[in-house]
Amino acid sequence: MSRTRALGAAMAVAGLATALPATASAMTDSHGSSAEPSAQAAQRAVITMSGSTSVAPLAARLARAYVRQYPRRVRFRLAQGGSDVGIADVSAGRVTIGNSSRDPRSSDTGIFFNKIARDALCVVTNPANRVPDMSQPTVQAVFGGRTRDWSQVPGSTITGPINVVVRTPASGTQDAFNALFMNRQAISSAAQQRASNGLIQQTVRSDRNAVGYVSLAFAEGLNVPAYRGVACTLRDSRSGAYLGARNFWMVTRGRATGAAAKFIQWIQQSPRAQRVISTEWVPLQ
Amino acid sequence: MSDARAELLLGALACVVLLLIALMVVSVFAKAWPSFANNGAAWFGSGGDGTVDQQLERIFNSPSNNPEAAAYEIRAWPPLWGTAIITLGALLIGLVFAVLTAIFIVEFAPERMRRVLEPVVRLLAAVPSVVYGLIGVLVLVPFVGNELISQERKESVIFVVQLSGNSILVATVILTVMITPIMIAIIVETLRAIPRAWTEGSAALGVNRWRTVWTISVRAARPAIIAAAVLATARALGEAIMLSMVSGSTGFAPNPIDGLTFFFEPARPLAATIVEGAEGFSIGPFGATLYAMGAVLLVSSFFLSLGGYFAKRPLAKYGLR
Repeated sequence: MSRTRALGAAMAVAGLATALPATASAMTDSHGSSAEPSAQAAQRAVITMSGSTSVAPLAARLARAYVRQYPRRVRFRLAQGGSDVGIADVSAGRVTIGNSSRDPRSSDTGIFFNKIARDALCVVTNPANRVPDMSQPTVQAVFGGRTRDWSQVPGSTITGPINVVVRTPASGTQDAFNALFMNRQAISSAAQQRASNGLIQQTVRSDRNAVGYVSLAFAEGLNVPAYRGVACTLRDSRSGAYLGARNFWMVTRGRATGAAAKFIQWIQQSPRAQRVISTEWVPLQ
Repeated sequence: MSDARAELLLGALACVVLLLIALMVVSVFAKAWPSFANNGAAWFGSGGDGTVDQQLERIFNSPSNNPEAAAYEIRAWPPLWGTAIITLGALLIGLVFAVLTAIFIVEFAPERMRRVLEPVVRLLAAVPSVVYGLIGVLVLVPFVGNELISQERKESVIFVVQLSGNSILVATVILTVMITPIMIAIIVETLRAIPRAWTEGSAALGVNRWRTVWTISVRAARPAIIAAAVLATARALGEAIMLSMVSGSTGFAPNPIDGLTFFFEPARPLAATIVEGAEGFSIGPFGATLYAMGAVLLVSSFFLSLGGYFAKRPLAKYGLR
């Protein structure tokens, strides 16, 4: 009997020891689409990234271009999960770089935010509702829930109730919208929340009365009103005229070192990286 | 491998599973504790300062490096109520469909039809919930929003809530489609297992097939029907992705006295709230709040199993299992 128990306990401990790290690593890797060419080099450094879903497409393209330029230098592994997941992962040392679309907060300690690009955030409406322009007070009244009917919005081509669609509070996009458009005023309590840019795009496309906000890359097929008199375009964001642009960050634990430092420096300085960024985003230079 | 060894090995594996479950329960409750401790029983109530979405946002934005200033206030009634009505609605509708379909498959369907029906039901049970969510977002939600809800109805509640088609109606309908196949599969198995002698005895007394099924087979299968309902409810409670896509994702408690409008009102069940907030797990108080919602789901599925067990016991005397 005692032998049974001892063996059982031993197996239980052994089972746990193998099970736990397995699930932990699966968690960080599972959403990943790895951006790497065929490789036989085990001695090459590996840069792992996780975090913002908005930054992920850009990070994947940059990684691919980097590998093309320096084929033998480094390998990449990219996962998503959201800005806060990336920041949590990098603080805990689970990844080399955490991608973030939200700005640093006072509570972020021990990590370093490297700015890599800027991204335009556009207010969008259904194509049936061709609002040409929204001033900041209008945006704040609509998203704050003080204006609830399209007939009260100047330039609107429809009438009827306004359906406000926003991102979940945990998203970096929501944080940026609150800062850039709302001046941190409260969002309407009746607003519907969506977990991704794509879901907002879909909702606004199918609902005549909807208004929301997305990254410029997701504004296709929707009506994009100008904000404070400037159209939400790549060119106006690059020139700085458009005031709804936010930052994309690559976060490292302390200042970046080794392969990650070289990669981030390449993103910030090489003309080739700037070209990759400027396809859909705003380069820093 | 000797039998004794196999016994030890399998026993150890079973112990590992039990231990993992215990660890999971303990860690969920440990992480959830700050949220419950700060709110007390009011956690389950309604009201508080602002809506539940505003409370969640405050919790999310509270500084995590300064425990003194951390916000924890939450009144989670809207998501609780949303979970309850969507789950109960889907269960009630689904149960009726499941029992009737199972009877049809076992007793009435021609052989050829049965050969098609059964694999289709099994297939439906295996469709991933994201696919159902997509159908909801792309087809049902726009249809309900543009065709079923009139402009007047939208305007009548304009200062309270947005009616856009994302509603408890769509959520309940899709959830029903998701949980019914499991119930059908379980009930079909049991109806098949009813001893021939029982139904033949009834037929010999001149009772027709419908009455035989209803009074003998279904009565004998009651424990299995309850088991099916418990399993389906557990799946419905835990469903997150689909509900997050179609329920409207608003911290609003739909109000039954609104009449027909009630069915068009949005909500956001607990599981959907957790999956949507997953980006913020690293923020201490926000993580604790989400874990608290997870703990509530854990406890309710535990009581569900317990309730199912006690409901089955008196029935099992006259039935199967």
